[in-house]
Amino acid sequence: MNWLELQTAAADAIVWIAYACFIIVALRNVISLAQLLVAAWVFATRVKPGEGARDLWNRYADLAMPITVIAPAYNEELSIVQSVKALLALEYPEHEVIVVNDGSKDDTLGQLVRSFGMEETSRTQIAELQQTRIRATYRSRRYPNLLVVDKENGRKADAANAGIGFARTPLVCVIDADSIIEPDGLLRAAEPFMYDDGRLIAVGGAIRIANGCTIKGGSLQKIGISKSLVPRFQTVEYLRAFLMNRVANAHTNTLMLISGAFGLFRRSTLVEMGGYRHDTVGEDLELVVRMHRHMRDREREYRMAFVPDIVCWTEAPAALDGLDNQRKRWQQGALETLQCHRGMIFNPRYGRIGMLAMPQIVLEDIIGPPAELLGYLVLPAAALLGLLDPMMALAFFFVSVVFGCVLSLGTLALEEQQLRRTPTATDLVRIGIAAVIENFGYRQINLWYRLQGIRRFMKKDSTWAAVPRVGFGKG
Amino acid sequence: MNGFNSVIIGTAILAAGIFVLFTILVLRRFLSERNKAKRDRRATAITRSYLQRVSGQRVEDQTDWSRRIRLDAIRRILPLLRGGERKRLLQIAELDGVLAQTIRNSHSLYGAERINAIHLLQRFGSEVCIARLRQLMAHDKSLRVRLEAAFALGANGALPPPRETLRILHALDRAPTRLDVALLRATAPLYPEQMVLLLEDDLPGDWRARIIDALGWSGDMSMIELLAGFAVNPESEIRCAALRAAGKLGHPAAAKWIVRSFADPVAAVRLQAIAAAVELGLREALPELQRLRGDGELWVRLRAEQALDRLDSDDAAGSAITDSPSQQGVIG
Repeated sequence: MNWLELQTAAADAIVWIAYACFIIVALRNVISLAQLLVAAWVFATRVKPGEGARDLWNRYADLAMPITVIAPAYNEELSIVQSVKALLALEYPEHEVIVVNDGSKDDTLGQLVRSFGMEETSRTQIAELQQTRIRATYRSRRYPNLLVVDKENGRKADAANAGIGFARTPLVCVIDADSIIEPDGLLRAAEPFMYDDGRLIAVGGAIRIANGCTIKGGSLQKIGISKSLVPRFQTVEYLRAFLMNRVANAHTNTLMLISGAFGLFRRSTLVEMGGYRHDTVGEDLELVVRMHRHMRDREREYRMAFVPDIVCWTEAPAALDGLDNQRKRWQQGALETLQCHRGMIFNPRYGRIGMLAMPQIVLEDIIGPPAELLGYLVLPAAALLGLLDPMMALAFFFVSVVFGCVLSLGTLALEEQQLRRTPTATDLVRIGIAAVIENFGYRQINLWYRLQGIRRFMKKDSTWAAVPRVGFGKG
Repeated sequence: MNGFNSVIIGTAILAAGIFVLFTILVLRRFLSERNKAKRDRRATAITRSYLQRVSGQRVEDQTDWSRRIRLDAIRRILPLLRGGERKRLLQIAELDGVLAQTIRNSHSLYGAERINAIHLLQRFGSEVCIARLRQLMAHDKSLRVRLEAAFALGANGALPPPRETLRILHALDRAPTRLDVALLRATAPLYPEQMVLLLEDDLPGDWRARIIDALGWSGDMSMIELLAGFAVNPESEIRCAALRAAGKLGHPAAAKWIVRSFADPVAAVRLQAIAAAVELGLREALPELQRLRGDGELWVRLRAEQALDRLDSDDAAGSAITDSPSQQGVIG
């Protein structure tokens, strides 16, 4: 092969790569647009949640299925007491709170014992799903529905499994210890179980960013918007994820993720599946994918639902410094899940999960990020070198960046029309601006983090870097 | 124009459309915030006007108040009123025609819209509302809507007799849900005799069990004797339902057969017996509960432990009250 042939081959390769990047990015956005339209349809035609539903639950409180709220806690001495008080005060006819102290190195356990008058007890564990040793269980004399499990350190998955093993109610709600649950969040999330014919196994709920909100005593006092841009960008991302993707996926029965910050599950199904997996950093995604697999392998009819109303608030990383760890971990978790369940991809045995939902994860998490990032480099370069029509490079800019703005603003419009939880018109404008400018820099930085997540996956890096938090009210 | 041009133009049009939509929503919100004080003043005036009319005072009617804002005001006032005042407010609301739009919505082509209307009709519960709810329950093409209408009627104590309810909801052709259970429990206090008569029909096992369960919510203590008969039924689901109902009624006459059910060969029945014993605070069950701590079934052992804890703590609380000086004073 002479130099000219080599140049021609390289030029052809660049053109092919450019076309591939263009098609992949366009396909992702077309899917997202379809999801936005489905979500808008779901919102427009849904039964409005409201006081009526709450009246109903008050009247038939004895029919609400009892729930165990499981809160894994690691080094939470500063906030654990307030968090547990808020959990005990949730509006629900019958709920137990199990706090799993996951071998905290600080005084998390001591705070709980002193504040709630905990005494050591010998509670039987129904299913031993955790891999580490349980040191002791404590029960409160003052709060009969509070149990503290003290165990050796594992990870969140291990702590949640320990809690699931101690739960005695038909439903379990797994949360993060620092999640702020809406006072009626449990009620709203459990409502689909009232209409259930026995097929419903899990319910997810919408989660919002608490940065900028006023939090007192472990509960949300006033909704606010963060002053920094990074949490604002994440507010837009969360809106897209929960109001667009999840709503549409749940409507088409292809819900693939129930956030680790709040998920309601049928206990018996979790126990039957062995709980969360310990060997992945994306245990929440893996659990839901495995649930689909488990039910379809056994040819059982099942359903997963999603409640688009806000059930929970969570603190997001306030700066890029913490965000990188989170995003790398999410990417790595997604790839681990895909690797583990690769047999489901394009497998007709798994129905729409195998044929649609799993390939979509492949598109979003394996092919999508590198393709988009590569596209930003290759397309303009190819156009400058005269290898491509410059209009194609411009079209790529439109399908990636401008289309991204369309999706974000569209989701924001959906939120404003249906939920109206943005505090003021000024805040709405602020988030609207964030929705536009996130496409110029933040989006690309995120893609870079995701590429690093892919690298971590390739290197089988299992180290866990905690995401730094600044505390509620400071972000 | 090549394909890329089309992509660019299409995306730009879409972006412009979304931008305009978003701007309109922001403006709407902005105007809504700017007019808040005015809206609050108007809401106060409407509320005052309705409260004056309820108390029989003559007030000047404001024609510029739309039905929608009148409806919002009445929704706010309604939970604060009881008895005659509430009834009078509902009559005034009907005279003003504030429910006209809701009634129209209850005829909507969309099921969700009809259900939203049902929720509002349920909260009002006036004669007109009940009449429309009855129509919806009897004739709506959607089962979900009929079920919601039935629920709304149940909440207003206006359900038809149970046989009619089950027929309209095509209940016996499907498995009962938790909502059906709630509906039967709401029916039981209204028609306890009809519920008993219904049990003489040829019913699917799961529905028979749900009806027996609902008898516990009838508040009719004469049901205890009937439930005692069901407690020895060959079907375990029926025995469970009888125990659940007995626990809810809380009549001590059931104590004997509840304790007998601790020896039932089916674990689910033993579990229900334990729950019923706790409901009744049965101290005579303590030896049997101790025995059940060694039961072969894990769940029975756990519930027995919990029951013993509950009965012990109830005892402790009881003796604490008896021992307290103030209580001794009352007793002494």
